[in-house]
Amino acid sequence: MEEGRNSGEKETALGGRSLTATSQDGGGQISVVSLAQGKVEGGKVYSGDGVLGYLEMLEAQAHELGLKQEEKEQQEKKLNRLKAKVQELRTRRDELRAKVELQEKRLLDKEGVVTDPARPSAQTVLEWKVKSIKAMLQVFYLTGISGKLTKQGVCFCISTAYEGTYLDSYYVDLLIKPEVKIQRHSVPIFIPLEQIAKKYLQTDIRRFLSILSDHLNAYVGRRHQADQLEEHFSDRIEGTLQRNSLCNLLVFNYTVSSDNKTFPFNVRLLYGDLCCSLPTEAIISCTPGTLPLLARMAAAHSNTFRQMALHKAFDSVINAKESQH
Amino acid sequence: MDEVVVEYIRRTVLKIPRDEIMAVLQKWGFLSEAQLQTINFRQTKESISHSVAQLCEESSANIKQAALLDIIYNHIYPNKRAWSVYHMNKTGEETDFFDFRDFKKKFRRQIQSALINVTINFREYEDNAIWIRIAWGTPYTKPNQYKTSYVVYHSQTPYVFISASTLRSNLPLLCQAMVVASNYYNIREMELRSHCLNSLKDIVFKRYSQNFQTNYPLQERNVLTENEDLRINDENRSEKERIHRLNQECFGDGPQPKLDFAQYKLETMFKSDPKWDVLEKKEPFRCLVKFSSPHLLESLKSLAPAGLADAPLSPLLTCIPQKARNYFKIREKKSLHPGSFVSP
Repeated sequence: MEEGRNSGEKETALGGRSLTATSQDGGGQISVVSLAQGKVEGGKVYSGDGVLGYLEMLEAQAHELGLKQEEKEQQEKKLNRLKAKVQELRTRRDELRAKVELQEKRLLDKEGVVTDPARPSAQTVLEWKVKSIKAMLQVFYLTGISGKLTKQGVCFCISTAYEGTYLDSYYVDLLIKPEVKIQRHSVPIFIPLEQIAKKYLQTDIRRFLSILSDHLNAYVGRRHQADQLEEHFSDRIEGTLQRNSLCNLLVFNYTVSSDNKTFPFNVRLLYGDLCCSLPTEAIISCTPGTLPLLARMAAAHSNTFRQMALHKAFDSVINAKESQH
Repeated sequence: MDEVVVEYIRRTVLKIPRDEIMAVLQKWGFLSEAQLQTINFRQTKESISHSVAQLCEESSANIKQAALLDIIYNHIYPNKRAWSVYHMNKTGEETDFFDFRDFKKKFRRQIQSALINVTINFREYEDNAIWIRIAWGTPYTKPNQYKTSYVVYHSQTPYVFISASTLRSNLPLLCQAMVVASNYYNIREMELRSHCLNSLKDIVFKRYSQNFQTNYPLQERNVLTENEDLRINDENRSEKERIHRLNQECFGDGPQPKLDFAQYKLETMFKSDPKWDVLEKKEPFRCLVKFSSPHLLESLKSLAPAGLADAPLSPLLTCIPQKARNYFKIREKKSLHPGSFVSP
């Protein structure tokens, strides 16, 4: 249909023919009647009458014929392609059907002549058990803290996530005798692992793991927010986002416009609680800082940053200011 | 000042392999694309360096840009320098809000309060690595741009990587500035040195592959896949598998950090059959053993499978990454290091 419309537009420029005649049938036959029609209409459009006009009209018709031919060829090609695909899918379906039948037949043969559909074979039971154990292990892994007994102790795996996105996994390999000790780990060096271990590892392993998991999840969450901010809003931030290893201090600049004037705002986000992925302080300064409107905006922005995830907060902050005028 | 700067830039460009000069200059960003297009990179390096110098002179390059080019060069080719690792200690447990701007100010102030004639430049990279370049002068002379020290620091970590090259006399000042600027208490040099900066980072940040056993994701049993030619029978298959397993436990699966050498200073008593009466004086036998290699840990890992050593290897060799040191002093204390010689 699209091809018809395109050539139709050309035709209206030349001779004002109707659209429907060209698109539906692939035959591309133009009856003598329509030709005659065209001639009359052609005569209307072209000021030059007689031979020249007639020649022009013929040329236009030839061109139009060519287009229709092309369109017909393309449609044929498309049809052939689709036919081939249908054929291919049909053969595939037949193959798979044959495979399934063969499998069923094999199963029947294994069980012997008497097949009791209510009593599953030992093989299927085993397969089901393995599958359900694998699923159970996956569930444990997805809960965030999972572990495996080793020769000398236990190896815990802490998997982190932020708002539905699964992020990194960290391992802690513990020795149990003579006392609980960390043999090795893959926790980043800036997470205060030794401090947490000193406080809780000997007395309460569960608490140790839970606090370590909080630290790791919060760190990964802060890092994820900073990454998202840089990825989606780097054009709205002046310069670059200043961060550090723990992502517990983020500084950046953005502009706020009001009454056709732009004001630069500077944000300092401090995350005082290392187990938390929201800032404890959001210090917003703007120059000049004297306008009361700016002070109100700064306070509002500060609240937003402290309550929502960084990239979402920034999104709402920019969009909110645009709606102010 | 200009000629010094331009000549310095020219010499820095000369250090870069010819095929990579364009890429480095683009990373530098001081010369525009149009200017870079005017350079014929198929000339000799000498000519290329002169073309670059010319362009820099026309664009009035200053010392800051020249220093930046040097930082970029050293960041791309860090293995040309020898790096040492330093460890810092903290007293309190408060959360540290590392502020990069603050850090730069404090660092500069510390150094310049003792020695005003220095050029200090900072550059932060995406992996939170801060590169500091310091060109040293003396109280009476301007900074010599060819006498530089480099410091690489990841914020909120207790490890600092320093490549002092020349003028080790300025090291104490440098260390002091690091401690003050990063809010730590003291700093000491570790027994860990190498040319490969990334491997040093891998060792102290424990980023090298460690074999952690987990239930999920399910780990496939690592079967030794040899040539499946059934005509070949491996008589020592079980031994091979034992060695392989022990090696895996010691070294893990993945690539090892790259170290150049391991040095063992022995101060142990020479133990021999008393009737042979060697060494009448009961003094420790002083001896230095140094293992050098383009890639020490990989070569240690392949010793047992190649049949050159028994598995498991001595813990003195395998403890290098875990203990984060490649300089050892072995003394007579039997409880720590059983360093006894087998008499000939």
